[in-house]
Amino acid sequence: MYEFRFADIGEGIHEGQILKWFFKEGDTVKEGDTLCLVETDKVNAEIPSPVTGKLVKLNFAVGDTVHVGDVLVVIDDGKGEVKPQPVSEDKQAEEQGVIGEIEVSNEVIESSDEAKDETITATTQKVLATPVARKLAKDLGVDITKVKGTGPMGRVMKEDIIRESQAKQETIPAPEVPVARPEVTLPKMEFKDNVERVKITKLRKTIAKNMALSVSVIPHTTSMTEIDVTKLVAFRKTQKEVAQQRNISLTYLPFIVKAVVLTLKEYRMFNASFDQENDEIIYKNFYNIGIAVDTEDGLIVPVIKNADKLGIFDIAREIQELSSKARDRSIGLDKLQDGTFTITNYGAAGLSFGTPIIRYPESAILGIGIIQKKPVVDNDEIVIRDMLPISLSYDHRIIDGGDAGRFLARLREYLSDPMLLLLS
Amino acid sequence: MALMTILQAINHTLDQQMEKDSTVVVYGEDVGVEGGVFRATAGLQKKYGVERCFDAPVSEAGIVGTAVGMAINGLKPVVEIQFSGFMFPAYNQIAAHVARMRVRSRGKYHLPLVIRMPYGGGIRALEHHSESQETLFAHIPGLKVVIPSTPYDAKGLLTAAIKDPDPVIFMEPKRIYRAFKQEVPEEEYIVPIGKAKVVKEGTDITVVAWGAMVREVQKAMQELEQEGISVELIDLRTIKPIDKDTILESVQKTGRFLVVHEAVTSFGPGAELVSLVTQGAFLSLEAPPTRLGAFDVTVPLDKGEHHYLIDSKRIAYEVRKLIKY
Amino acid sequence: MLTKQFDPLKKKQLQILDENGNIVAKDLEPNLSKDQLLKMYKTMVLGRVADTKAVQFQRQGRMLTFVINKGQEAAQVGSAAAIEEQDWVVPAFREFSTLLYRGAPLYNLYLYWYGNEWGSHFPEGVKILPVNITIGAQFNHATGVALASKFQKKNEVVLTFIGDGGTSEGEFHEGINFASVFDAPVVFIIQNNHYAISVPRQKQTKSITLAQKAIAYGIPGIQVDGNDVLAMYVATKEAVDRARRGEGPTLIEAYTYRLGAHTTSDDPTLYREDKEVDEWIKKDPLIRFKKYLIEKGYWSEEEDQKLYEEYNDYVNDVFKQVEATGFYQLEDVFKYQYAEMPQHLVEQYEAYKHYLEEVK
Ligand SMILES: Cc1ncc(C[n+]2csc(CCOP(=O)(O)OP(=O)(O)O)c2C)c(N)n1
Repeated sequence: MYEFRFADIGEGIHEGQILKWFFKEGDTVKEGDTLCLVETDKVNAEIPSPVTGKLVKLNFAVGDTVHVGDVLVVIDDGKGEVKPQPVSEDKQAEEQGVIGEIEVSNEVIESSDEAKDETITATTQKVLATPVARKLAKDLGVDITKVKGTGPMGRVMKEDIIRESQAKQETIPAPEVPVARPEVTLPKMEFKDNVERVKITKLRKTIAKNMALSVSVIPHTTSMTEIDVTKLVAFRKTQKEVAQQRNISLTYLPFIVKAVVLTLKEYRMFNASFDQENDEIIYKNFYNIGIAVDTEDGLIVPVIKNADKLGIFDIAREIQELSSKARDRSIGLDKLQDGTFTITNYGAAGLSFGTPIIRYPESAILGIGIIQKKPVVDNDEIVIRDMLPISLSYDHRIIDGGDAGRFLARLREYLSDPMLLLLS
Repeated sequence: MALMTILQAINHTLDQQMEKDSTVVVYGEDVGVEGGVFRATAGLQKKYGVERCFDAPVSEAGIVGTAVGMAINGLKPVVEIQFSGFMFPAYNQIAAHVARMRVRSRGKYHLPLVIRMPYGGGIRALEHHSESQETLFAHIPGLKVVIPSTPYDAKGLLTAAIKDPDPVIFMEPKRIYRAFKQEVPEEEYIVPIGKAKVVKEGTDITVVAWGAMVREVQKAMQELEQEGISVELIDLRTIKPIDKDTILESVQKTGRFLVVHEAVTSFGPGAELVSLVTQGAFLSLEAPPTRLGAFDVTVPLDKGEHHYLIDSKRIAYEVRKLIKY
Repeated sequence: MLTKQFDPLKKKQLQILDENGNIVAKDLEPNLSKDQLLKMYKTMVLGRVADTKAVQFQRQGRMLTFVINKGQEAAQVGSAAAIEEQDWVVPAFREFSTLLYRGAPLYNLYLYWYGNEWGSHFPEGVKILPVNITIGAQFNHATGVALASKFQKKNEVVLTFIGDGGTSEGEFHEGINFASVFDAPVVFIIQNNHYAISVPRQKQTKSITLAQKAIAYGIPGIQVDGNDVLAMYVATKEAVDRARRGEGPTLIEAYTYRLGAHTTSDDPTLYREDKEVDEWIKKDPLIRFKKYLIEKGYWSEEEDQKLYEEYNDYVNDVFKQVEATGFYQLEDVFKYQYAEMPQHLVEQYEAYKHYLEEVK
């Protein structure tokens, strides 16, 4: 069955009157035969049949008005189901140009108000500032609209913003956190029997001390999320061989380091230290990324110095070298110092999330879990994606949940699009 | 007051001006007997005779070149180029003569003439029937370029163009020729050339558009409003000379600027506006002044044109980006 | 020389086959093989069927604006039949049957009017320039192609077309003048179908004939009954031979009539009387050519009916293929602007793809 609709034939037709039928119901028509003659505002148009078949129904009689989109006739073309014929939008046209199709409607738009007097509403002027100054205010968390400008025409200068930023830090009282650890006498550990006492290594001792210091001084909080790294996984695959030819085993870690560094540059609070004694935040203008390496004796954290100056392959090479040196303990002290941010990868141990402890006096640490294929809902469909679980612990004295959210959002952008990562 | 489409407003205005001013003459290809391929001049030949409204040979250089001569010798020609894509044979006349007669003769001669032409895409047309060439005129010193987006403005601007002592290129967004109606006062009035219109006041971003794009921006604004984004929409109406004050005042208030046009992006009208805003409202900017124009490609035919046309969704997307910046 | 014999200033017009199918100039009847005559006739029929059906498709809401050729098939095919394999065709926009005769696939021609640029990408070896909408420009292109042929001794002749209205454009003059100055091997054909959209031929020029315009350029000109395919063939052949001998261009006015509207969006009742159209329907080029072929014993009514049916199905099939192409890919919007996509286009392309991904 074929439902033939009266079409917008671009001829100035939005409706027409049937002048004549050339067939009646029950007749057989051939494709191309003129079914009827329709008179419109402008022309008489012969309407040809689009298919061959038996005329089952004529929906209009001579003299009737038919509108664009109406089913003119139903033709049994030997195909069972009704196949509605697509009709270009119901555009009514009274008259047309000589080319193309022009939208026609009777919609009425609001009258022009220009005849009335123009009442000019007082305009509130925005703060005057250069884009550079605006950026600085944003970075320092200063609300520029509150800053009194000292420049020409009251323009807010960079110095104004810096002054405001400093003033702010002075006026907000820092929560009192005792710096020195309160003397705690630990209860003795006495076990009757069936225990073995083993002296810890020096390394373990250091680890224990550092961990305890960090946790007792820094109020930790951890935010977790998962990142879709399907593209990164695919991309690494394609680059693995190239890397191998250069004797590099390309893991995901170098990409993550790169992404972290780029993100740190934007969110400097995560590459900082809090000097509680002086009520100051120390922003570091270098990016030394510590990589926690699991050795037989315990965690060692060698540091990739100036990671922001390195490419992915360089980073990979560094990691390879540092971790092997860390494992055989041949690593020099200088390679273990001056970190500004740390990444710990417990994904290798098959874990997903963690609550990593910040390396004092850094302000944050990123935990990396294992990449796994997971069902994910995308566009209301369940699809399989490579998901990377990450956990970010941070110093809650200077960093809020919102900051962490923005940090992770940017990190997500980089990690979910390797091209962006490479181009940045 | 009657409800009219843009096309009806143009026809009505031509009629009114021919009636009031016997020096107004109207001609072009198919303009006389048929009343123009879009019927913008329907009925005029019948009413005013073949010396005031007539069919020109297929000759754009002839149409514009003779208009120059007529304007020098006492008439006010209002000529039609059938589609803006066919103005190129007349471009020599327009750039070399229409634009220069006043300056060359140090004011001895001037050309009170109007060159009307439908322009713009979105009508599923053949090659050369969809372009937006406003820049090609606006770039020439000596021309004024006007584009209405409503029936009311069509009448007011065309009246102003006919009364203007200098040549005016009057570009008509054919896609919305009949897309809606508006009340158009019967009596003569002008909408001044060189004056933009704040269509809707807003606080977060200034969007400038003209022609068929105004309606697309308005559609985008409905979407954006629900998200709490307040757009100030300015209909430029005159591409040249630009109404600098209205735009700068608005951007100084909102701090953000987007210009939307059908013309291709590179070296387009958007570049001019962005430059103007950057210099004039530099200290108020919260985000880079931005242009949204067509891709730098030949307008695709129907089966690719949907990729090319700028719609409300893209405008809304671009606005959101600037708000979030 | 025909151009001497049929002096346009003396209002002479070349006709060999009159509207009743009678040979009126026996001595000028071309000696064409049965195969070639049938090829000409069949192309005219295909042109007619495809033209009629394109209008029908448009009336069914399936085709975009289409330029209608009905009634001009003899002018289009008679001229095309007179050039050789190596020769070029530089069309305006109303040469549907010329293009078919010269090997442009119907698929391409339909695809173009269906709104897809691939329609202008003709197969290898088909020496046809894309349809030209901007009236007049093609005359200079044709002259350029012809001069390149001459300078490189390629032995190619160029056949180009324009309408009666087009003769008012500056480029009509510039093209012919340029060609005549350099004796370019080009044949200029004016399809005088009596209207430029709504404007009748006599309002386009004061010249009594269009052919006489040749005189001012110092080249031969001739007015031909454009509905007589034999006359069109003979006149074009003479012009092509002249051109190939290096004697320069010729201007041929094909005196014909557009039986349909200017395009499917045009309403001819605004500017012409049905009576006038009826007169010209009697002069339909297909009717007289068929009579001629039947009289020669080359053709029959039965074969004729079968041919129409066959073409009907063929055209339906081709159009279905065209409809199946739908919209084209985004990449195509960018890819063909330059040999290599410059940076700004790459950026626009990428940004738009990104946008599409993001909004979806
Ligand atoms: C340069 C230019 N101006 C105007 C047009 C619009 N237009 C398209 S067809 C046409 C009339 C052409 O008449 P004619 O040359 O007689 O050719 P026909 O259409 O009758 O084949 C016009 C004015 C155009 N395509 N190009």
